Amino acid sequence: MRTADLNVVARRALADLVGYADELRDLDQALGDGDLGVTISLGAGAVIEALEQLPEDATAAELAKACAKAFANANPSTMAALVAGGLLAGSKTLVDSTEPNQADAARFVRAAGDNIALRGKTQLGDKTILDAIMPAADALEAGSDPVAALDAAVVGAERAVADTKALQSRRGRASWLQERSIGLQDPGATAFLRLLQCWQAALHAAPAERN
Amino acid sequence: MKKIINEPGKFVDEMVQGILLAHPGALRTVGDDLRILARADAPVSGKVGIVTGGGSGHLPLFKGYVGPGLCSAVAIGNVFSSPSSQQVFEATKAVDGGAGVLYLYGNYGGDVLNFDLACDLAELEDIETRTVLGRDDVASQPRERADDRRGVAGIFFAYKAAGAAAERGDSLDEVARIAEDVVVNTATMGIGISPTILPTTGKASFDLPDGEMEIGIGIHGEPGIHRGPLETADQIADRLVGAIIDDLSLADGDRVAVLVNGLGATPLEELYVLYRRVDEVLRGRGVEIERTYVGEYATSLEMAGASVSVLRLDDARLELLNAPAQSPFFREVSA
Repeated sequence: MRTADLNVVARRALADLVGYADELRDLDQALGDGDLGVTISLGAGAVIEALEQLPEDATAAELAKACAKAFANANPSTMAALVAGGLLAGSKTLVDSTEPNQADAARFVRAAGDNIALRGKTQLGDKTILDAIMPAADALEAGSDPVAALDAAVVGAERAVADTKALQSRRGRASWLQERSIGLQDPGATAFLRLLQCWQAALHAAPAERN
Repeated sequence: MKKIINEPGKFVDEMVQGILLAHPGALRTVGDDLRILARADAPVSGKVGIVTGGGSGHLPLFKGYVGPGLCSAVAIGNVFSSPSSQQVFEATKAVDGGAGVLYLYGNYGGDVLNFDLACDLAELEDIETRTVLGRDDVASQPRERADDRRGVAGIFFAYKAAGAAAERGDSLDEVARIAEDVVVNTATMGIGISPTILPTTGKASFDLPDGEMEIGIGIHGEPGIHRGPLETADQIADRLVGAIIDDLSLADGDRVAVLVNGLGATPLEELYVLYRRVDEVLRGRGVEIERTYVGEYATSLEMAGASVSVLRLDDARLELLNAPAQSPFFREVSA
């Protein structure tokens, strides 16, 4: 996909993502401090604005870095910094591509997840956003074509998010709840799933609607 | 709990306000955030910036080491809590003079998380960073796991050396190399004889029965190697210096700088009684003491106790220790 089209898809997906802010706030209120809704809505808004400023010929890496910067500064928090660092790490895998393909997307998501794991000192099963990112990266790597790969990534993330309910939170504020965190769905993982779903919808939208 | 405070929740901010009022012109807040302080003339164009930080409750650590010849900025959190990644990042932007920024702070999980996140945020703004962790507490891990040690009072030596290197215009890589060189040549060990009381909870951070001491204590009251009956100053000095000599493998002819640090509630007089024996033991081993510092350099609120830090010296390290430096809490006047 050309970066200019990627820019349009990203903006559309993020505009949709804001619609999930209340869901994310409620999930986060049960497990943390409830600021994830604001982080996502202000963050998505800031990223959309940054993407609007990008030139047509921006590379995919420049696009990812612009997203990272805007997201980090919109509503600063540990979550925002982790996501920004993930996007930055992802951008480094893209070199100067202006037409990223499925393999680029897989590498990008994997590198973002790895950086979040590294910075956050977290691993799969700790009940964090990572639990949804990694199955999606697996699916993007394995998929036979880009559309099938994204569909599989959404399915994988959906299953992973459902599975977080049985897990105990081991990182961040949510870990203070200890056993009481079991039974609750992880807000970070859910946020990533919603982003993927919004991305899927934005891709499938007729080109004429992509504005 | 008996403390001279107002509302416990305002303790940190009111302390910073007091520092700014008492020492006008030395430090400035970054933005309006009382938790981020930079030296008044930052950023210094073309020179490496040094950002430190960590929890409050350790004065003069960390805020006391910001100024010419020392760190460029500091980000602090609540008592014994890390600053946020955004605060570290704001400090970074405020002091970057185009030559990059060194993160120099103690090895604690929360601080590492937030400073590492700030590295990514800085990179997005094209500010180059390096990280060196203070990890001098020999009681916290054995020599073979020295990289996992806690950072305590000995970080003072790293501030002094790295700050002097940045001031004379060394590159970011060189300032980082010097900081690391000092850290790995520094060893500290401390004892606690009464606990810290957190302003917000009003509770002692640990229990220590009368007549006992905690050997190898951390600056947040972390337990040490063991607990035993309180000893005389000379016995305590023997213990602490003995562990340090072993750790640094100090031998006849080695040159060192020594810091005897009070943890907050121990009188200066007692620190000098301790130093008397530290000096005797080191010289008895043929170790040459080139610089001595006695006083409060890294405290733990009202904890009573002391630590001894030793930096193995060579000419390069000594020159950096002797270079001029100035902050409201520390001054080195060039000879």
